[in-house]
Amino acid sequence: MRVLSRRKRIANGVLVAVMLLLSLLFLFPVVWMIANSFKPDGQITADMNSLSAFLPPALNGGFFDNYVTILTNTSFLKYMLNTLFYAAILIVLGIVVNGLAGYALAKIRFPFRERWLLIIMLLMIVPMETIITIHFLFVAKVGLLNNVIGYILPMIVNPFNIFLFRQVFISLLDDVYEAAQLDHCSPVKYFFTMVLPMSRSVVATVSVFTFLNVWNDYLWPSLVFTSSDLLTAQIGLGAITANENTTMGQTLAAITLITIPVIIIYSFFSKQIVEGVVSTGSKEG
Amino acid sequence: MSFIELKHINKRYPGVDKNAVTDFNLEINEKEFIAFVGPSGCGKSTTLRMIAGFEDITGGELMIDGVRMNEVAPRDRGISMVFQNYALYPHMTVEKNIAYGLQNMKVPKDEIKKKVEWAIDILGLQEYRYRKPKNLSGGQRQRVALGRAIVKDQKVFLMDEPLSNLDAKLRVSMRNEISKLHRSLGSTTIYVTHDQVEAMTMADRIVIMKDGVVQQVGAPMELYEHPQNKFVAGFIGSPQMNFYDVTVSGSTVTFADGSRMTLPQVIADKLSACGGELILGIRGEDIKFDSQNLGLYGESKQQAVIENTEIMGNENNLYFTFGGALTVARVSKYEVSRIGDSVEFVFVPHKMHFFDKETERVIG
Repeated sequence: MRVLSRRKRIANGVLVAVMLLLSLLFLFPVVWMIANSFKPDGQITADMNSLSAFLPPALNGGFFDNYVTILTNTSFLKYMLNTLFYAAILIVLGIVVNGLAGYALAKIRFPFRERWLLIIMLLMIVPMETIITIHFLFVAKVGLLNNVIGYILPMIVNPFNIFLFRQVFISLLDDVYEAAQLDHCSPVKYFFTMVLPMSRSVVATVSVFTFLNVWNDYLWPSLVFTSSDLLTAQIGLGAITANENTTMGQTLAAITLITIPVIIIYSFFSKQIVEGVVSTGSKEG
Repeated sequence: MSFIELKHINKRYPGVDKNAVTDFNLEINEKEFIAFVGPSGCGKSTTLRMIAGFEDITGGELMIDGVRMNEVAPRDRGISMVFQNYALYPHMTVEKNIAYGLQNMKVPKDEIKKKVEWAIDILGLQEYRYRKPKNLSGGQRQRVALGRAIVKDQKVFLMDEPLSNLDAKLRVSMRNEISKLHRSLGSTTIYVTHDQVEAMTMADRIVIMKDGVVQQVGAPMELYEHPQNKFVAGFIGSPQMNFYDVTVSGSTVTFADGSRMTLPQVIADKLSACGGELILGIRGEDIKFDSQNLGLYGESKQQAVIENTEIMGNENNLYFTFGGALTVARVSKYEVSRIGDSVEFVFVPHKMHFFDKETERVIG
C-alpha cells in the first residue's frame, strides 16, 4: 500500500510538472505580446534575441504610448464599444429566443417535439461557415447589409444554446409551474420571473458563450459591415494592423486590448462554462 | 347544496386502455375535511389534480360552489394547493414566496404586508422570513407552502401528500398543525395521502380508492367499524385486519387448519343465506386473551403458540399462526406473553366481519 501511494505521489508530481511546462508553453506568446506592447519598435527588435523580450520596459513617461495611440489616434475604442453593444443585444435576445425555444422543447407537449429536438441537434453539427452564404443572401435581399439589424438577426438563434437551455429546463419541477399557475402567474411571466432566475447558471453560460462568440467573430461582421462606423473590434484590429503606419508595438497593444475581455470572462466564468458544457451531456430527463 | 360535487368523473390518459379514475362520485360540504386515501396508483392524486385543473377531465362534471369547473383555468377555480415537494420558488425568500400570489392578484401592498405577517406569525416562521428555501428544513418548507396557500383566502385547499417527505415525528406535529389551521380557517380541504393514519386522524370523511374506483366513503370510525369490502377492511387499521378462509355451516365456522368456532345464533342467521365458503376478518384488538372474555365466549376458545411479540410501549402485538394464517392480536401492555408461550384466546363474535369469497363484499 505504502509503495503504491509513493508511486502515486511521484506520478502526481510528474503530472504537475508536465502541466506546468505545458502552461508555460501556452503562456509564452501571451507574456511576449504583453511585454512588447509597451515597447517602441526599436526596443522590440533589440530585445528579440534576449530574455528581455519577455520583460516589460522600465516604467517611464512613454510606457503607455502604444495604448494611448491606439485608443486616441484610431477608432479602435469605438470598435470595441460597438462589439460590446452588439454582444449585449445578442445576449438579451439570445436568452429570450433560445430560452423560450429550449423551454418549449423541455416542458411543452406538441406534435413531433422529439423530431424538432433532433433537427436542432443536427443543426449543431453544421458549421456556421457552410450556411453563412445563405445568411448573407437573405440579409442582402431584405436590404439589411451594413445595418446592425442585418448583423444581429442571423446570430440570435443558436442551436447549441437552445439545446443547453432545454437540458437545464427539463430538470425543473413541474410542481413549481403548477404552484405559479395557482399564484396567478401567466406563462410568460413564469418564464421571466421563475424559469430564468431558477436557471441562473445556464443563463450565465449562454451569456458568456454569446459574448465570446460576438467578440471573436470575424467572418460574419466582415461580410455585413462596410461602414467603418459599425465595425467590430476584430475587423477593426485587422484594419489597424493592415495600416502601414501602425507600429509593431501598437499592433501588440491592440491585440492585448482585444484579449483582455476574453481572459477576464474566462477567469470569472470558467465554472459556468464548464457547468454549461457538462449539462449538455449529463442532465438527461 | 354541497360545495364541491364530482359527478361521474372519469380520467383516461391517451394511449392507455384503462381508466385512471372510473365513475368518481362525491359531494363535499363547505368547511369539510376530506381525505382521499389508497395505495400508490389508485387515482387519488389524479382526482385531486383534476379538481385543481392540472389534468383534463375525460368524462363527468366538476362543480365548485355551483359552477361547472371542467373548462376553467386552475387560477380561476378559487383553490390553493400544497404540493408533496413543497414547490417553493427557490430564488425567493420565505416572505416573497408567501407574498408572490397576492402580488400577482394585485392586492394592495399594505394588505399583502398584513397577510404575510399574519401567515408568518401563525406558522412560526418569524426567524426564517428572509431565508431562501434551500436554507430551510423539510418542516419549515412545508410551513412556507402552507403559508403561501392560506394567505390567498381561497375557498378550497388541496393538499397532495404534504407530509410524505417529513420524518415520523415531524409528521405527527404537522398533522396537528394542519388540523388546527383547517379548523381556524374554516376552509374546505381535500387531502390526499397514502397513510391511513393521517386520513383517520385528520379527516371528517375518508374516500378510499383502489384501481381508480372509490371503494367506500365515510367517517373514519364508520370505515373502521363497518368496512364494505375486504380491501377497505384491510387498508384501514394498523396492524391490518386478520383474514381467514372459512367454511360456515349453520353456526359452526371451520378454518382452513380444521379449527372450529361456534357463532352466536344471531350472526349465524345473518350468514345462513350466503353460507358456505367465506372470508372471516377480525381486528387484532378484537382477539381477547383475558379471563372475562374467555369465560363469556368459552365455547369458541382457541389455542395457539406465540411466535413473535412486538412491544409498542402502550400496547403489545402478539403474532401466532391460527386458522392457516399468521394472526396478529393487539393486547394491553399488561398482557405479557413470551415467544413460545401457549395461549388461549377468543374472537369477539360481534366484531367478526364476513366477506363473500368472490366479490369480497361484506355480508350482513
